[in-house]
Amino acid sequence: SVAARRPWRLFGAMCLLRLPRITQPLEKEEEEMAALMEQIELEKSHYSDHEIRKLQEEEQLKRRKENLYDEDEARGKTVIMAQDLEEKWEQKFLQFKAAPRITDADKSNDRTSLNRKLDSNLMLLVKQKIGNQELWLLPQVEWQPGETLRSTAERAMATFLGDHIQAKVLGNAPYGIYKYKFPRAIRTEDNVGAKVFFFKAFLQSSDLSQAELKADYLWVTKKELGDYLKSEYLKKVNRFLLD
Amino acid sequence: PCRAQPKKKKKVDVKKEQAQKERMKKRIKKLEKAAPELIPIEDFITPLKYSESNRVRSLPALSPEESERRVLLLKKWCLFKQKQDEAEKKAIKALVESQQEALKELRLESEELYQAAIRRDEGLFPFERDGPSYTPPLPGYDPPEGKCVDITKVYTQ
Repeated sequence: SVAARRPWRLFGAMCLLRLPRITQPLEKEEEEMAALMEQIELEKSHYSDHEIRKLQEEEQLKRRKENLYDEDEARGKTVIMAQDLEEKWEQKFLQFKAAPRITDADKSNDRTSLNRKLDSNLMLLVKQKIGNQELWLLPQVEWQPGETLRSTAERAMATFLGDHIQAKVLGNAPYGIYKYKFPRAIRTEDNVGAKVFFFKAFLQSSDLSQAELKADYLWVTKKELGDYLKSEYLKKVNRFLLD
Repeated sequence: PCRAQPKKKKKVDVKKEQAQKERMKKRIKKLEKAAPELIPIEDFITPLKYSESNRVRSLPALSPEESERRVLLLKKWCLFKQKQDEAEKKAIKALVESQQEALKELRLESEELYQAAIRRDEGLFPFERDGPSYTPPLPGYDPPEGKCVDITKVYTQ
């Protein structure tokens, strides 16, 4: 395709997502509905073996209390009651301590850590120099002839996170585009502006300690993007991000 | 004199054995002609011990306020789910629109890059991922040892 050289410069940017590790908290309606479903299930069910055993043992205890000398029942064998079993299970459960859902990074609001906000998607933002401004952007590099835009985006990821990053890029097609014209001072006939094509990828390696990040970076949720990105850029990015 | 007796035995035995074999073959043919027995689905057969009367739960009947509350809750749930579904559909539509716009701009730029972008990505599917759990994994957790013995009944036709 030897056409006239287009005046737009092409960039490939990568939106790297760390997927959620824990479930989101239930809404109020969801909790009420879950409680109702459980109640209905209980009402429609029959007694299980364990419950029948419990009822029978309760009756036995009652009869034993009423008539103190019941030769049939008291045969001198020590049986484990269903109630004791339940208490034992309860004790075991209380001894187990699960990992907390709100981590230390959440409490200290350390936005460079990946352990924050485990129930939502986290996106990578890096500080890049565009023209003479330092801006927070999704990692991007300029397209070079001979490579597809997807490889540009992957190169962008590798530039900022190192080669050993494992990410699943979702397809060959870009998800969004941000087009902007250069300020009049730099604009020429051949160099009107730039088009940034966004690609999406899911982060798969959970341990990034080996990655040497060469610039300032942040992992933020969709709601926090507004704190860092410019409004036009943010509008385009928000279109292809599902919360 | 010595030869005659063994010969007779052999003949009679051979004949008897052949007759037996034919009878067995006839029986096998009859069995094969009959339709194959259906494999019972264990989930659909309630074991008899669960239909005894002492198993029925005894709970107090529902008060009218309670049934009223339940009906209202179901209606609220219906609305909630409808809103959720609409929001999801809207988000997906915005996603698709954004992608279409990006591809249109790319086409304006270069046909070659556009063709490379709309090519199918073979390595994407099958895509596997473990879903989220209620709490994050506990570092250094030692799960209790145990063996799982599979006692499902296997039926052959």
